[in-house]
Amino acid sequence: MMDQRWRPTVNEREFIEHALQSDLRIDGRRPFDFRKLKIAFGREDGSAEVELGETRVMGYVTAQLVQPYKDRPNEGTLAIFTEFSPMADPAFEPGRPGEAAIELGRVIDRGLRESRAVDMESLCVVAGKHVWSVRVDLHILDNGGNLIDAANIAALAALCTFRRPECTVGGDDGQQVTVHDPEVRDPLPLAIHHLPIAVTFAYFGDGNIMVLDPTYKEEAVMGGRMTATINSNGDVCSIQKAGGEGVTSSVIMQCLRIASVKAADITSKIKSNVDEYTTEKAVRKVKRTPVLVAKKNDVPDITMESNDGALESQTSKTPNDAQDTSKDPPAKPNDKRHEDAKSRLSESNLDVESMPNSGIAGESDEAKESVSPKSLKDAVKPKHKRKKKQHGKS
Amino acid sequence: MERAEGRKANQLRKYSCTRNPLGRAHGSARWEQGGTAVVAAVYGPRPGTRKGENPEKASIEVVWKPMTGQSGRQEKEYEMTLKRTLQSICLLTVHPNTTTSVILQVMSDDGSLLPCAINASCAALAFAGIPLKHLAVAIGCGVLENGDVILDTSKAEEKQLKSFAHLVFPNSSKSVDLKESQQKDGQSERGLITSITHGVMSEEDYFNCIERGLAASSRISDFMRTTLQKHTPDYL
Repeated sequence: MMDQRWRPTVNEREFIEHALQSDLRIDGRRPFDFRKLKIAFGREDGSAEVELGETRVMGYVTAQLVQPYKDRPNEGTLAIFTEFSPMADPAFEPGRPGEAAIELGRVIDRGLRESRAVDMESLCVVAGKHVWSVRVDLHILDNGGNLIDAANIAALAALCTFRRPECTVGGDDGQQVTVHDPEVRDPLPLAIHHLPIAVTFAYFGDGNIMVLDPTYKEEAVMGGRMTATINSNGDVCSIQKAGGEGVTSSVIMQCLRIASVKAADITSKIKSNVDEYTTEKAVRKVKRTPVLVAKKNDVPDITMESNDGALESQTSKTPNDAQDTSKDPPAKPNDKRHEDAKSRLSESNLDVESMPNSGIAGESDEAKESVSPKSLKDAVKPKHKRKKKQHGKS
Repeated sequence: MERAEGRKANQLRKYSCTRNPLGRAHGSARWEQGGTAVVAAVYGPRPGTRKGENPEKASIEVVWKPMTGQSGRQEKEYEMTLKRTLQSICLLTVHPNTTTSVILQVMSDDGSLLPCAINASCAALAFAGIPLKHLAVAIGCGVLENGDVILDTSKAEEKQLKSFAHLVFPNSSKSVDLKESQQKDGQSERGLITSITHGVMSEEDYFNCIERGLAASSRISDFMRTTLQKHTPDYL
């Protein structure tokens, strides 16, 4: 198969370079502007999806109990796995990671491990025998340029929201480890001391023009790249400059100063997103059962609407090339029912009746609903034995 | 058996389809069914076929990426199932000697993962403009102890059930809205494209699954139709 890498034309290359000499970038940004950053969290703890402009990365954290390394018997381990999925770029081949993937993994690994961002000693359960091994999987979904920064943010966001199961040591010899189910005992967050943020610069011309957060077109044209990993305290956790144009030390110092400002910015964004997610999750846990009662009463009303209503309760979102997220009008009846978007109740009342003798779908829906009050009570008799259900919402 | 959150036996979880979330891919779709979410990206048709593939037809290549860990046998099985399913819905003779790659990334898994992935890939192929004969609509059905069939199984349910099946049907030709067509649909022959079962079930249970699955697939295929039609320009 042919090499699928995108190559810029001579015109594109010249245009990008000339525009930069007037401090103009092809997407309209200024040289030291980051693209728009969006962090979203998945259903599970420890899963985060980051969008940095057009670049999308998903981070997923898992942990398991393993034997520690012989030379560090009371420390847990942290491992970063990056795979450049062929989904992100036609140039990425499936199979063994290429050098870019390995470089990305190493830069993020150095930033986290050597700066001791994640506390390893708190991951020890039984010294020398059982420690938690934390694994971070980074999946590149869309390569819009500057994968290192985006992947780093995804890893940090996922680590911040990850919860590991609680375990107790007991038994006769004090060596028995019981791992508690997350439903029984709340899982614990990782101890994270600080957030090392990677900030990437691209060099053009003779090393005197630099821009922050290059897009993939700029990356194809750049003369060299430097990544500085800095935290909000101003500590430089790692610097990566692998070849490329030579750059004077004054320029590097200027870059580091800019990077530290941007790092503080991004750190606060990550923290606010993580806090928002954790409070929303906590609220959802409390509200879960009482809402079950309130919501179910709505169900008969919804199915009484025309069949259109039932069908349109599926949302079809379109974040299109036009970059506007338009929610379709049919989704509006949903918003009403969705005051508590948190409760993932079956808003979709797709009663699919396939028994031919029970007639047409519409009728059978209504027939089912009349039976439902009985089954509703059964459903509401919750198996959730949480005491929290007493603190219902009003 | 009581289902989580009071779902009835025939009730599907809330599903949604996002069109072209990715910028680089030629076509992409994010399909969510309850807690299960899969992103599918399509690149193609690209010139050349792999060794061993028939150059007189287009070939489909599938890459499945799990959430964590290495790609193992389970992933290879999914890739093979998807490849065969998608091969049967694509018009392979329109672009001979080309390869269309479908890459899937599991974003979260709460049961019915394979059906979700098939729906996502079918939508992604349509958004990429790959010529298709018809759509492939997938649904997961579980069989309870007493022989009842439940639709759209979640992960917890799949663990408990003694058997469940993932079924793929072609999309229905008429909308379910029209009441007359309801009877017509039942009579017209809509063959099963793919069926993967887990566990032991009786023949009768299996046929029940197919019947229920067929009805559910009409709903989902209607949803797909509205999603795709919404974005066709007026002049088409």
